[in-house]
Amino acid sequence: MRVNSPCTNLIAGSFVLAAAIFTAGTPLRAQQAHALAITVKGNHFQPASLSAPANQPLSITIKNLDATPMEFESVSLRVEKVIGPGASGTVHVRPLAAGSYEFFDDFHQQTRGVLVVR
Amino acid sequence: MSLQTIDTAMRSLTIGLVTAAVAAVAMATGSVAARAQDAGEFHELETKYIFGNFTVGSSIDEEGEKAFEPETEADFGKRGGKYGVSETELEFEYTPTQFMQVAFGPTVSYYNIHGVPGLDDLNAVAVNGFEAEFRPIIVDRGPSMPFAITASIEPEYHSRDETSGAQVANFGVENKLEADTELIKNRLFLAFNALYEPETTRDLGMWTKESTWGVSSALAYQIIPKVVVGADLWYLQHYDGLAFNNFTGDAVYLGPTFYWQIAPKILMSAAWQTQIAGREAGIVPANLDLADFSRQRARLLFEFEF
Repeated sequence: MRVNSPCTNLIAGSFVLAAAIFTAGTPLRAQQAHALAITVKGNHFQPASLSAPANQPLSITIKNLDATPMEFESVSLRVEKVIGPGASGTVHVRPLAAGSYEFFDDFHQQTRGVLVVR
Repeated sequence: MSLQTIDTAMRSLTIGLVTAAVAAVAMATGSVAARAQDAGEFHELETKYIFGNFTVGSSIDEEGEKAFEPETEADFGKRGGKYGVSETELEFEYTPTQFMQVAFGPTVSYYNIHGVPGLDDLNAVAVNGFEAEFRPIIVDRGPSMPFAITASIEPEYHSRDETSGAQVANFGVENKLEADTELIKNRLFLAFNALYEPETTRDLGMWTKESTWGVSSALAYQIIPKVVVGADLWYLQHYDGLAFNNFTGDAVYLGPTFYWQIAPKILMSAAWQTQIAGREAGIVPANLDLADFSRQRARLLFEFEF
């Protein structure tokens, strides 16, 4: 008869729990993403305010027209991406509830905008 | 009314009064600071480390973010003698999705124990284990959801006993629920944690089991942009056995917290706590639990994002 040691049970239990919670926390990404676009010029977002539908995945394409790199970042959207001068980048955002979500350039923190989800 | 009931009531009253005092100080400090600052200077914060890191906030950073995090916990003071023990986790942290964060790394401990009843003298530094952490979001904060909850599951292995430094094989899983909310947008934050940590240890050929559970509450106030101060209150119980089998003691810790976003990619988080109440099972009168817990404990963390 095979008897598991206490540590084997402990480790096995923790991984089963982690796997269950990880699976529960992983979203299905089959839904079509709503596309948004924004540019950065003179250390300002243009437009400074974006609108998007609620409960739908989003893809936001950022074009950096400045001569220095920028990092598009948002605490509440939980995304960040470094974009070189003259380059573009896209971030993918989970479906959101209605409300306002701040974003900013982490390399020039006065550069700020807002995503309004309705 | 029995002496035990009176003791429990006094303990509850003490905890309630301390919590109320901490909240009052935080609110008073906040109102002064709020008048001194333009509200527009305060922006969203990652809440994970703003409570000093004994109590942990719910946020998990941005998708794709990688960071190196040296974190040290130090414990000071037993019933007698000289006791100072620290454990430093050298963690690599990564956020692979917008719903989950992982971290892992080795641990290094320092033991400075002299003349402590029940413990052998020891002065040593040792690489003593490995820890991993999985943090999935359970409830996501948003404009229509004022609070957030994240689970934390942290399996760990140690080759030395965390308290005595004796060579053992110790396996444990620190399980936590980390909840927080904003009381004042971008300024005042409140967090609750619940902890359950079963451990099993092989020492001199024998397996022993123990467990710790606890709850905490912490307030944190962004007093100037990127600087947060607060207070953290913990209640912990220790048992022999994995499932609350034999109560061995409990402790209440209270202390200040500090958080500073030093640069866009560098932060520090610190906390210091003193055991203000506690009891060892079978010891009368109750006067702290210095067998299962230390008299004081501290945490210091730096995060370097890359």
